[in-house]
Amino acid sequence: MAVLSIENLTKNYGPVKALNNVSFAVPPKTVFGILGPNGSGKTTLLGIVMDILKVSSGSYKWAGDDIPNELRRKIGTLLETPNFYHYLSGETNLRIAAKIKGRGEQDIPKVLQMVNLYERRRSKFNTYSLGMKQRLAIASTLLGNPDILVFDEPTNGLDPAGIAEIRELIKELNRQGKTIIMASHILDEVEKVCTHVAIIQKGVLKTVGSVSEVLNTSGANSSAAILIELSAANNDQLKNVLQQMPGLESITGTENGIEVVCPESITAEQVNKFCFDNGVVLGKLNVKRKSLETRFLEITGKQSDR
Amino acid sequence: MLQLFKIEWLKIRSYRTFWILFAGFLVFFPVAFYLSAYKYMERVTDTKSMEENLLKMLLDSPFVFPKAWLASAWMGGLFFVLIGMLFILLITNEVQYRTHRQNIIDGWSRLDFLKAKFSLLIFFVAVSTLLIFIMGLVVGVVFSPSTAKMFDGVKYVGYFALMATLYLMLAFLIAILIKRTGLSIIIYFAIVCIVDNVLWLVFTLKESQVGYYMPLEAVDSLVPNPFKPKMLERRTVADYTLVIAAAAYIVAYAYIIVQYFRKTDLKT
Repeated sequence: MAVLSIENLTKNYGPVKALNNVSFAVPPKTVFGILGPNGSGKTTLLGIVMDILKVSSGSYKWAGDDIPNELRRKIGTLLETPNFYHYLSGETNLRIAAKIKGRGEQDIPKVLQMVNLYERRRSKFNTYSLGMKQRLAIASTLLGNPDILVFDEPTNGLDPAGIAEIRELIKELNRQGKTIIMASHILDEVEKVCTHVAIIQKGVLKTVGSVSEVLNTSGANSSAAILIELSAANNDQLKNVLQQMPGLESITGTENGIEVVCPESITAEQVNKFCFDNGVVLGKLNVKRKSLETRFLEITGKQSDR
Repeated sequence: MLQLFKIEWLKIRSYRTFWILFAGFLVFFPVAFYLSAYKYMERVTDTKSMEENLLKMLLDSPFVFPKAWLASAWMGGLFFVLIGMLFILLITNEVQYRTHRQNIIDGWSRLDFLKAKFSLLIFFVAVSTLLIFIMGLVVGVVFSPSTAKMFDGVKYVGYFALMATLYLMLAFLIAILIKRTGLSIIIYFAIVCIVDNVLWLVFTLKESQVGYYMPLEAVDSLVPNPFKPKMLERRTVADYTLVIAAAAYIVAYAYIIVQYFRKTDLKT
């Protein structure tokens, strides 16, 4: 049974449709990424399922028959920005959250240690840096050891080490059997962390499934699944040669060489041999499975405002 | 409810602005009340002249039982706007810090959030009413020649509680609807100091009693200025009708607050 199922969710802000008929289900024990450009409706979606925004139409259901607010006590949620009382210490802020949840008060020292804030626990929230605020928010979600976690842009404001730590933490939580729902506009993050992904754009669900399904389901006009990076001493000559090779989907010049998109039937050996036979010796040949980024751009188009 | 209040208390107990405004009320009101009683009684009892004695009888000294209760309630009402401001601040702070969203996310229902704030309202009303009672008692006992009929006017302490509740419910409504701290406080003061009085004036100038049923005037009239000579009082409507009106306003405000907050998107 799905941890969360969403049916035909629509949210209007005046004439703007922030969400338009979105439906999907989050399978248990997955890391479910909600991926979309800025302003695509990710936070609105999470806001609705956490009952801080009201739907215009459609419905959602969390697993379990509890009344909604008691159910929320068993979910750890970080929505958009860390929301804490600025004049209170990190520790007191967590105590308030734990008291509202009715659980997890004894976890406070532990979760503060997990996010490296234990030494600063008595400092006021408004003295924290952006990254520390974000880490406190993550600590708050871990109170009471919930089975479901909802993270909206969890690595926002963190330094590279912090980002790596949080990603590792999310993976670890998933290994412990927890379900994680995570919104992000960072493709790399979703690709590294998530098992499942839903891509939304301008409030419309574009695709949903496991990450490998989404990657392998090719766009309507393309069966390409492989990306090959090549370079040679003379990249212009290389490009000319490749244009004569049959079966390639696209050939693009990049800063460091050439990128070729082709179906899985074409192997690196074939490309290498073809180039050599035509008088080009490759300096670099790197085969990649098509990344989520390529797929994402295929689905959403390349203009950031779309 | 007690559980909700404990959480509210945790939110405010180390909030400096809370203590400044709350202590402002707890300290300034008793000091100001006692000092004015002291100065007033000193002036009245020291004079021997006929005119002043006449005046004293006319005024029916406000700091002596049974009027001491009214004086305490009336003066407490003046200082109570501090608490109104504080209450607005404590609600709009939640919006500003987006903690109203976080409280719901962490598992309160929207009604829980309102109940928690209402528990704070009860706390403010209870503490200030107790203080009004204590100060009425202290000043009355110190300055009254006799304590024979000391509890005759104690109903004014009850009227104060009603007044305090209505003032805070209005603050609650404004804070929930307006959300912004500064604007909410300005609107609150505008209504308390200007709008309600203008409405009252407009209606009473036409020799109508409707003015006494205006939202805040209803409770203001229950606790009239003790320095105002009785002959200037034009109110003819009975106290109990004003009590009913005030209760109706409280219920109406509560209804609007609940209906609005249950359905709205919680944004900043």
